[in-house]
Amino acid sequence: MLRHTLERLLLAVPVLFGVLLLGFFLMQVVPTDPAIVRAGPTASMEVIEAIRQELGLNEPLWKQFFIYMGRLLQGDLGVSIINNVPVTQELGATIGPTLELMLASLIWAIPLGIVMGTVGAYYRGTFLDRIIMAASVAGVSIPVFFLGLILIWFLGFQYQILPFTGRPGPIWTWEGFKAVIMPAITLGGVFVGPVARMTRSSVLDVLGADHVRTARAKGLPERTVVTRHALRNALVPVVTLIGLQIGFLLGGAVVTETVFSWPGIGRLAVGAILSSDLPMAQGTIIVLSLGFILVNLAVDVLYAVLDPRVRGA
Amino acid sequence: MSDSVVIPQSPVGVQQPEADRIVRRPSVLLLLLREPSACVALMTVVTILLAALFAPWLAPGDPYGGDLALTLQPPGELALLGTDGQGRDMITRLLYGLRTTLMIGFAAVFIGCGIGAVIGFAAAYYSRLSGLLMRLMDVLLSFPAILFGLAIAAIFGPGLTAVIIALSIATVPLMARVVRGAAIVVMQQDYIEGARALGMSDRRLILKHLLPNCLSAIFVFVTLRFGQVILLGAALSFIGLGAQPPTAELGAMAADGRNFLFFAPHVSVLPSLLIFIIVLAFNVLGDALRDALDPKLNK
Repeated sequence: MLRHTLERLLLAVPVLFGVLLLGFFLMQVVPTDPAIVRAGPTASMEVIEAIRQELGLNEPLWKQFFIYMGRLLQGDLGVSIINNVPVTQELGATIGPTLELMLASLIWAIPLGIVMGTVGAYYRGTFLDRIIMAASVAGVSIPVFFLGLILIWFLGFQYQILPFTGRPGPIWTWEGFKAVIMPAITLGGVFVGPVARMTRSSVLDVLGADHVRTARAKGLPERTVVTRHALRNALVPVVTLIGLQIGFLLGGAVVTETVFSWPGIGRLAVGAILSSDLPMAQGTIIVLSLGFILVNLAVDVLYAVLDPRVRGA
Repeated sequence: MSDSVVIPQSPVGVQQPEADRIVRRPSVLLLLLREPSACVALMTVVTILLAALFAPWLAPGDPYGGDLALTLQPPGELALLGTDGQGRDMITRLLYGLRTTLMIGFAAVFIGCGIGAVIGFAAAYYSRLSGLLMRLMDVLLSFPAILFGLAIAAIFGPGLTAVIIALSIATVPLMARVVRGAAIVVMQQDYIEGARALGMSDRRLILKHLLPNCLSAIFVFVTLRFGQVILLGAALSFIGLGAQPPTAELGAMAADGRNFLFFAPHVSVLPSLLIFIIVLAFNVLGDALRDALDPKLNK
């Protein structure tokens, strides 16, 4: 178990290094000179040169990379060229809302997807199964923004039940809670389909297994057979796949945040790229990548905890 | 065709016992058309492709020139599906938008699947390369397409090229996995051993025997991936990292219409709906293809 975890940790190191290297080259490839941008349009050559010195831009590339790594290790991601706010400060302010949105989406989408998948598998081939599968296919096919716009039009505009822009406060306040509902329905809505499909095929596999037949032969009630014997075993691959789908969810979060003007990290990244705020873009991309490496690591380890067969491999 | 046709139970390409071999497997198309939803999906896909192909002839107006006196007209007599914020005919915009959106999909799937296939075959065929290549693919796989979209747009600037590059990169590892998986199964067949014993070159063996026998797996993947790529490309354009105005692209059009959502919802809803229909059609078709090509499910 420990060995498996350590192995995974070691494997993550080169990936992490690759991401940081990519982040470094992001700043190199871009044709704009950060010193000129920082100095502003009216600055004299001397000022620009002074800033070049200060930023270490005249050093050889390898030395610049060490300077960059040194800064990163101290948690310094630079300063936004748009509003001069430290990148880390902006990141700190937006990570919370994004996590909040993702949690609020997962908390209803995963249980619903699992129930739909299990019911579909159990009543395989019936009308109910077909309806559930059709809904799942529609769910994976609908553009996130379309779902968001429909909700805004009906719940926000036509019936004016819920607010649809911004985040007035954290989720535990009444205002904040109301504001997160529509974005969470939108983002969770595109997540139900994949979970339902994965659960269905996994439960179908397990329902045909010997131990389920044995459980039935013992005369256990059908309910127990399905929930205790089939679902519990079917959930192992589902948990892993859900973990790996977190990336997919974050992609949806970037779009959802844009639709609902949600002040999250995805919207921050998009805004930075659109306004050519390179330090901010670099910072958001590095932090998002870091998030994925961590999630994947967690999923790997969790998989080993859930399925003892993986540990030996 | 009568119902007594026996479908072989083992994967395509596997040697059948003498008695079974003469029974012909119904064609994939026929199996596909048995499913009504697949029929509808196939017809939708064909219609969409034709509409995109013949857009310049079908479109009643100019996609980039509008009449500013006739902005945001609701669907009706004046314009069948209304006009957008700059008085451009929606039907024309949708047809041209469809072209751009499908072009992004084709380009990304073509490039991504091409590179992915080469890597997948290489990993399956040269076992020494396998570990390194697949580890590399795992790394790529751990990042979502949208993150590639952000990174590439940050480097090259937002635009169609950035979207195509990002979606190609995101497709490579998936394709490599599918191809490697399929190729490894085929590699274990006797006829590969036979071809090798005959002294066939690696290149010829891969192109003549390996590739044709992996085609069904590739075909299913490409169909499903096309839908996903369209969805991702539209999303990237919607958030502003893809097609730039005034380019007609469905995702960008949906974003543009957001400003008039409450008094002219058709500007945003129509392109979004079209994306939904395209992706749905490809997903249903891909699922049906998989079922039709996988004999194990044809019980």
